[in-house]
Amino acid sequence: MNRIDKDRPTHDWIEQLRRRFPCEREIDRVLTRKLQRRAGPPYAPVSLETLVQGTEALIRSELNAPFEILEANWLSGGASKLQMAFKLKWHQPEVGPALTPMVLRMEPSESITETSRLREYQVIKAVEGYLPVPPTYWVDAEGRFLPYPAIVYGFAPGVAKPTASSSGVTGVGTFMPESVRAPLGAQYVEHLARLHTFDWRQARLDAFDKPASLTQALEWQLNRWERVWEEDINEDVPLMRLTMAWLRKNMPALDHVSLIHGDYRVGNFLFTEENNWISAWLDWELSYLGDRHEDLCWATKEAFGHLAEDGKTFLVGGLMPREEFFAAYEKSSGLSVCPATLRYYELFNNYKCVAICLATGCRATRNGKTHQDVLVAWLSGISYTLMDELRRQLEEVL
Amino acid sequence: MELRPALQIKSVIKAMVDVVLPAVDPHNKLAQEQARLVVGMLQLLARHLPLIYRYDRDELSGLLALANALQEQARNLPGIEGARHALVTSAEAGSDVLERARAEPGELEAANFDLRERVGALITEMYAANDFSSLKHVSETIAMHSREQLLRERAWLVSQGWESNPQALPAIEELISRAPGGW
Repeated sequence: MNRIDKDRPTHDWIEQLRRRFPCEREIDRVLTRKLQRRAGPPYAPVSLETLVQGTEALIRSELNAPFEILEANWLSGGASKLQMAFKLKWHQPEVGPALTPMVLRMEPSESITETSRLREYQVIKAVEGYLPVPPTYWVDAEGRFLPYPAIVYGFAPGVAKPTASSSGVTGVGTFMPESVRAPLGAQYVEHLARLHTFDWRQARLDAFDKPASLTQALEWQLNRWERVWEEDINEDVPLMRLTMAWLRKNMPALDHVSLIHGDYRVGNFLFTEENNWISAWLDWELSYLGDRHEDLCWATKEAFGHLAEDGKTFLVGGLMPREEFFAAYEKSSGLSVCPATLRYYELFNNYKCVAICLATGCRATRNGKTHQDVLVAWLSGISYTLMDELRRQLEEVL
Repeated sequence: MELRPALQIKSVIKAMVDVVLPAVDPHNKLAQEQARLVVGMLQLLARHLPLIYRYDRDELSGLLALANALQEQARNLPGIEGARHALVTSAEAGSDVLERARAEPGELEAANFDLRERVGALITEMYAANDFSSLKHVSETIAMHSREQLLRERAWLVSQGWESNPQALPAIEELISRAPGGW
């Protein structure tokens, strides 16, 4: 049915896409790798034994001392990566003999978000000690030791949602009880302010390209997500074409290059319930250097919050009123929040989200490329609600 | 609509085979048997789904041939006039249905696919080559189409639970009941 057989992409088509949509080098690498591998076999279940052996090989390549992997178990959570929990019995440098709980996070054959483990590793290493993040130990950026690229993290304590709370798939619609709102809300905004004022120039982030003009960071992002749309979408959608045209014609200039998390929201941090302390920010795979308004807009999205008990006050992340959130952010970061730029990123974020859920989600499922196709297929159903929100946002600015 | 039954069934089979079946208690024979039957039934469904329309049309064609032959052969037989007349009436209705059931579901899907692609390419080229503000009428046309299309798509998937106010959506049966060319 396709004029271009996207399930068996040709070299010429891949090169044409790379020329049409120039983006950061590492992003180009992972997207190109995705297409080059696409015609290959679907994802086949990987046993714990295989993961343990691969992890051992990875650690052995980094450590000279003996070690042992114990208590390996599957972890659930998230739609994009496989996770295995284990304990490492080892001689930890500068610590001594230790039994350290760890997590292996590995890509499937094709993920709902095709991202770089190297970038994920670098960004977490960069903010370690500055923001709460899980310790990262080793990365298999090319899948040399494991079946697919992977990272080994330290296991971070805490929960992603209050134990007594309910939520939908991947944390959408998490209810935050009143008792946690003030302490978590203060950290939620403070951590974002800290991230956006982080001095990334001093950090080792060589898998990240640094924008050279006021719009280059955004151009790279637009190229990235339009490329993903072209690579993965089956049925085209007129509204997405119109949205991208609008996004390209209305790019706001950047006034400050920040390190962007890319998925900053409730559900992507862990907190310890005994003291309501955020112990780790997770899921850094979409991070890049760009405009803080993307995170601000995503963090305050309605899907990730809920109304207060008065039935009318919207609480960002279920934690604090929107105005309070932005005021606290401005005060803490010294950076302004521009309503027009926020509006722009509302459209951008919805475009990106639909590209991920509808285009990549359905393509990966069609080809049996993930470890949980049924979840990815289920998630793709949210695309039409998101697109209707996008349509309303677009009609307001047309 | 991307979330089509074929895709859904395929992902469910994979989840059953890769994850659920290996985890079913090997000592629970009933659960083992039924889990395997679920997979078998889903595989059967996946094979049948693309053919069911053609199957029904073929069956109708065969039944019409039988009906026409029988009503001819029964023409002068005594005591069957009522039943013969009823058959003639139903055969005429069936012929009308068969006459209208020409296109394959796959052809409909392909036509939608083709138009989506052509429309998308035109939109991209129009906005790349022209000033955005000069295309306001085009933008409005696309937005209006999107509004109706998305209403159908959201109603189609409303039971998934993504909508904040699902009661506000019309029933999908209502939205897709219009006659061809009814937009």
